[in-house]
Amino acid sequence: MKKIERKDFLKLAGGVVGGSVVGTVFSGAPFDGLQWLVEWTQDQYVPARGAETSIQNICQACPNGCNLSIRMIGERAVKVETSNGACPVGQTLLQELYHPERIQTPLKRVGKKGSGKFMPISWEEAVKDIAGKINKIRKDKKPQSIAAINGTHNTAVNQLLGRLVKASGSGHIYHDTCFCDLSKSAVQLTQKVEGSLEYDVENADYILSFGARLMEGWGEPNKMYNSYLKWKKNKAKFVQIDTICTRTASMADKWIPLAKAGTESILAMGIAYQLITKHGKSSNVADLSRWSGLNEFTPQKVSAATGVPVEVIEQTAKEFVSSRKPVAVAGRGGKGVSSSVAEIVAVQCLNKLVDNLGKAGGVYVKMASNPLGEPKLDAIAEAGIKNTKKARGLDEFIAKMENIELLFINEGNPVHRSVYGKKLADKMKDIPMVVSFMPLINDTAMYADYILPTLTVLEIPANEASKAVGARFKAKHTGDIVLEIAKNVEDVSKVFTWASYKDVVKLSGKTELRSAASFSFSTDILKKHFEDLKKKMSEGGSEFNLSLIPFEIPVVGDGRGMALPYVLKSIDGNTFSMGRLYVHMNPETAAKNGVCEGSNIYLISKRGEIGKVRVHLTKTVAPDVVAVPLGFGHEGYTVYADDKGVNPKEIMSDSIDPESGVADWWYTRIKIS
Amino acid sequence: MNKKWGMAIDLDKCTGCGACQVACMQENNMPIFKDDSDLPKRVTFLDLMKVTNDKDAKKKYGEVQVAFVPKMCQQCEGNNLGAHQPIPLETVKKRVLGGEKVFFPGITYDEQDNMLYKPEVVYTKDMVEDLEKKGVKSVYFDNSQPPCVSVCPVVATDVGDDGVVSQVWSRCIGCRYCQTACPYEARAFNWWNPRYEGDFKKSLNPDVSLSSRGAVVKCTFCSHIWKRERDKLLAKGEKDLNKVKYNPACVSACPTNAIIFGDLNDPESPVYAKKLNNDERAVRLVHSIDKADPKVREKWIAKKNYPNPKVYYLSSQKWLRDILVGFKNS
Amino acid sequence: MKSAIEFCKNEWNSYTRKTKIALCVLLGLVALFAIFAIQILFWGLGYTDMNNVFAMGIWIIGDLGLVALGGGAFFSGFLLYIFRKDDLEPLINSTVLIGFMCYLFTFILLVFDIGQPLRAWFGYTYPNWGLHLMPKSMLTEVVWCLTLYFCVLCVELIPIPLKHKVVDKIPFFHYLGHYLHRLMWIMAAVGTFLSFFHQGSLGGGMWGVLYGKPGWFHPHFFFLAIVLATAGGTSFMTLWPYVASKIMKKEIVPMSSFQALAKVSGFMFIFYLSYRIFVVYTLSTVYVPMADRSFIDLLGGYYGLWMLSLELIFSAIPIVLLLVPKFREQEKFMVAGLISGVLAVLFHKLFVVLNGFSIPNFAWRPFMGYNPTIQEWFVMAGALACMALIYMWFAKYMPLFPHLHKHEHHEA
Repeated sequence: MKKIERKDFLKLAGGVVGGSVVGTVFSGAPFDGLQWLVEWTQDQYVPARGAETSIQNICQACPNGCNLSIRMIGERAVKVETSNGACPVGQTLLQELYHPERIQTPLKRVGKKGSGKFMPISWEEAVKDIAGKINKIRKDKKPQSIAAINGTHNTAVNQLLGRLVKASGSGHIYHDTCFCDLSKSAVQLTQKVEGSLEYDVENADYILSFGARLMEGWGEPNKMYNSYLKWKKNKAKFVQIDTICTRTASMADKWIPLAKAGTESILAMGIAYQLITKHGKSSNVADLSRWSGLNEFTPQKVSAATGVPVEVIEQTAKEFVSSRKPVAVAGRGGKGVSSSVAEIVAVQCLNKLVDNLGKAGGVYVKMASNPLGEPKLDAIAEAGIKNTKKARGLDEFIAKMENIELLFINEGNPVHRSVYGKKLADKMKDIPMVVSFMPLINDTAMYADYILPTLTVLEIPANEASKAVGARFKAKHTGDIVLEIAKNVEDVSKVFTWASYKDVVKLSGKTELRSAASFSFSTDILKKHFEDLKKKMSEGGSEFNLSLIPFEIPVVGDGRGMALPYVLKSIDGNTFSMGRLYVHMNPETAAKNGVCEGSNIYLISKRGEIGKVRVHLTKTVAPDVVAVPLGFGHEGYTVYADDKGVNPKEIMSDSIDPESGVADWWYTRIKIS
Repeated sequence: MNKKWGMAIDLDKCTGCGACQVACMQENNMPIFKDDSDLPKRVTFLDLMKVTNDKDAKKKYGEVQVAFVPKMCQQCEGNNLGAHQPIPLETVKKRVLGGEKVFFPGITYDEQDNMLYKPEVVYTKDMVEDLEKKGVKSVYFDNSQPPCVSVCPVVATDVGDDGVVSQVWSRCIGCRYCQTACPYEARAFNWWNPRYEGDFKKSLNPDVSLSSRGAVVKCTFCSHIWKRERDKLLAKGEKDLNKVKYNPACVSACPTNAIIFGDLNDPESPVYAKKLNNDERAVRLVHSIDKADPKVREKWIAKKNYPNPKVYYLSSQKWLRDILVGFKNS
Repeated sequence: MKSAIEFCKNEWNSYTRKTKIALCVLLGLVALFAIFAIQILFWGLGYTDMNNVFAMGIWIIGDLGLVALGGGAFFSGFLLYIFRKDDLEPLINSTVLIGFMCYLFTFILLVFDIGQPLRAWFGYTYPNWGLHLMPKSMLTEVVWCLTLYFCVLCVELIPIPLKHKVVDKIPFFHYLGHYLHRLMWIMAAVGTFLSFFHQGSLGGGMWGVLYGKPGWFHPHFFFLAIVLATAGGTSFMTLWPYVASKIMKKEIVPMSSFQALAKVSGFMFIFYLSYRIFVVYTLSTVYVPMADRSFIDLLGGYYGLWMLSLELIFSAIPIVLLLVPKFREQEKFMVAGLISGVLAVLFHKLFVVLNGFSIPNFAWRPFMGYNPTIQEWFVMAGALACMALIYMWFAKYMPLFPHLHKHEHHEA
């Protein structure tokens, strides 16, 4: 055999190496390797698969109760389908359910109040501490120092907490302000019954909205959407009165631009004047017809005050009175409604003038119901209730709050929502025990001593037939928590006979809609209102030369949505962009005040200053008006909502409405710098 | 398939509530960031655009209006010239036998809408004979040419036989040439690493793969839902894929039924294209060629491709139609 | 090891103060380039000011500019080897090197520009071919043509280091260099062929085919870019060695060579300017109106009319300064002509990219602006600094200028 030469060996080795390199390249292995590298460096997460099922539930985010069908992959809920056209809130429920900052166990404060430092404790410990506190307060004979602030809707669970507070001996039961509060006082004043207004807009054929942004989350969104479709079908006319051209104004058949912001009630009286003097409706509201002040509302004067042309006022009055089923809607705003009781009364006068109270397409009174019944009070409680200096509304309560020992916060976020929020936060620092029930820490819960994790909508089966996604962490239903606490309070436990919240929910029956026929009120309310309004509109003199008006953007609403990242992703660039909040201004206003598109400004009212915000110029806003988006400027509502923009409530008017005890913050005089 | 999925959005009914947008994000696993206010870099498939006519110098306060326009991928098809016309197999055969090079720019189908050959396959004698044996009498082809598909250097995007423009996240190299080509800003690039923080991962939809950083993503008319419905139908024993019906996430989420979805070719469907083309309320986004003089239109279409999108916007407001359809009246 | 440090030290000390400062600046830029490169490659393109509307930015302008200017290499080679314009002989090495670097850094910038650099090879394995391997996508064409032409440039570049006196002494390399040199006309031909395609596709066709975008759509864009590369590229190929000679304070290339190439450049600018005017005219009368827009409206943004006007002015200047012998023979006018020739290319690319992206797609949108971030600037500047350093190294250690070599020989 021939000996392999060195040279041949090298050739051979070279050939083998070269061949294998070529082979490897052509086998595709290097490319596969690169592909693997691509995936590895990108860390692509692969969602787990599982059996696909769907469960049915009912949305309880608002009283409307839309059907939800939840698509499940294994144990995971991945999509909410809505069969009867639910509002966007239904779509955000998953984000709430799986929020990474969900409270997992009961928390007890460890740091300074408001620092947001908490430690986990057990349910037993939490319930023992809270019930112990109630027992101690009751032993000290100061039960009136217990208070509760509920979320906006008057649900059975909220009533259960109210019952606990009442049975313990305090009358301090309030809830986050909503249209119900405002209209409740108006109903009491005019119709002398307990209940709130319920507009049957769906069946009306002429809808005159005084700043109520019906398409922007006002009331129960789904109901409004369906009403709109019905109006189109029935050829009903929808007239929107608003200072800002919102989507509601553009969707309306007619938008009456209210060039002078905050004058809705003047315009309402102007139309009432027309109905009484021109259309012979004086007998319907005798109080108003006899009122000497009515002469202040001639078309010319109203036109000068509101900026609405005389013809428009006359025409609107004529259309309103000649329609078959007209209805006038009060309650300015979309998700965050604010108005004065007198304004609602003024608008109610229009409804009474066309005699639509309690009729289809008119206005009903939704009767206040108490399905749980009045608890039997013991001696301590009775004395406590007697000693309670009950405020008429939440804002009044916050303003006057003193000697409160135990405060319950159930859902809701008054620190952010109320114009007295900062004050509430300050006062909560001095309250020995603040207990909050909520699934996510928010601006208010930051100041709590105990935070008890509750369930989100998807985790609660609405009724026997519906099914919920399994409860996450150690969260419990608020009703169960309240029952558990109540059972540990001496004597009070007797009036809580239910085993679980399910028994309580069963009790809440249908809401009763009633037509109260009588309608009368003292015109002094109106007199005082218009005096106050005049004062408010000239507040601060010529220095405060602009009017501040809030507006809401889709899904964010009045701030609840800000913690949900998919909501953040939907905010438009003219409202919040590159981490900066924009206020909207008419180009005329901007020119007068020396600002331009994108300028950085501060907004200053008598109450204080917020900023910086940027300016966006748009002719959708009336001259001399600054429109500010609501819902921004959170300070403790998860990383997603925090440090984004400013909260205009901090500088908004804090004048408390004498009838409802709630601040009428809609309209504020400001200046910019 | 003989489907051509399309959409009609009635802007008169759109309240701008945002349900479509959130539903889309949830369905398609949009990434989650702490601050997503850098709008031009935002990754979403459906953009709910707020449109006003306040740039119009003639309009004063009180005369301007606001509308919301949900904008997703418009699934353009280009002019699609010569497409969907039956060509007798005899003619094809004659040309092939005559030594001519015969090929069709798009997918070819037989009369029963079965796909025969991929685009641009040169027909040989054997192929034609094979078709004859199968009993094919005539063929037609589809010639969709969206602005974005032909420009992709790596075939990461393509047009399906139902007209939906697909995008394969994992094939995309991120050159953004398709974004450059898209006149509707419908494509989004993952500028940052897409994040799905903490438990948000639990709500991820397994039907839509997550994109990695540096790839372009887009709306596909929720074609994964079509697949889901197809599988359900197949399980029931139905074999005709044309019977599969579905609704994208945004359509099912709309509370006022402002968005409707269906087959543009089907006279029974609410989005029948021929009806929509004659509807005075209907416009297509930045597509004023629709409203041009027919003679001019014919001349220009022969000269240049137009996006020819499959999403129609309906509005009774003239200002809105004008601002959507083009630049002349704005 | 020690000797290497010693060598570096001596080398450094042999430089003049000005050279030291220049080197420090360039090396500093390269260091920043490295830092920001890591940031971009590892944390993504979020650090740039590009976005979903303004999808491409400074890097793509850099790519377009480098390829167009580097295009001077193919045209000079074409003139020298095919047309036998021997005046250009002293310039050709420098030209090949600049071309090589331009293409190299085009690749590097492209890698930064794509979101998935690790998938860059998809362009070769999943190309968007159509019938008969005709690329459907302009970028497919760009990727393949650039790669092939880059290979050609590599082969063209090899003889330069082979001419180095140390390497040249080895017989194998001497003959290799010799034969490669004799094959150069084939390379030049192949290069010209390839260059025609990618100059057209990357420079113009890439934008011209976008039928949805009225600011770009024009069937002639492809050919316009080729003409621009021949005109502006030759200016660049003359300007660079001229600047080098000023810095080195030596006559590295005879003035006659500069003059010859400058004349070519000026001549090509006649074609370019007339073609460009034709394109602008047809854009405004045919193609933009076809999309129902008006051309003057499209020029309304931050990068509109002024940029186009500057581009046209810069394209006109070389025609006067480089073609009229009276001006060309005066050095200052020639240099001014060359500079404006390079600026014409630059402004054309700036205008095409910036204005094209800034045009609003919807009637209610304003024009977009683009403000490159520090990362984008330094990656761009660092790439240019690298190019300068490589050229300096070649000029010092390699026989880049045969004229200089000959000259020294004579003196000796």
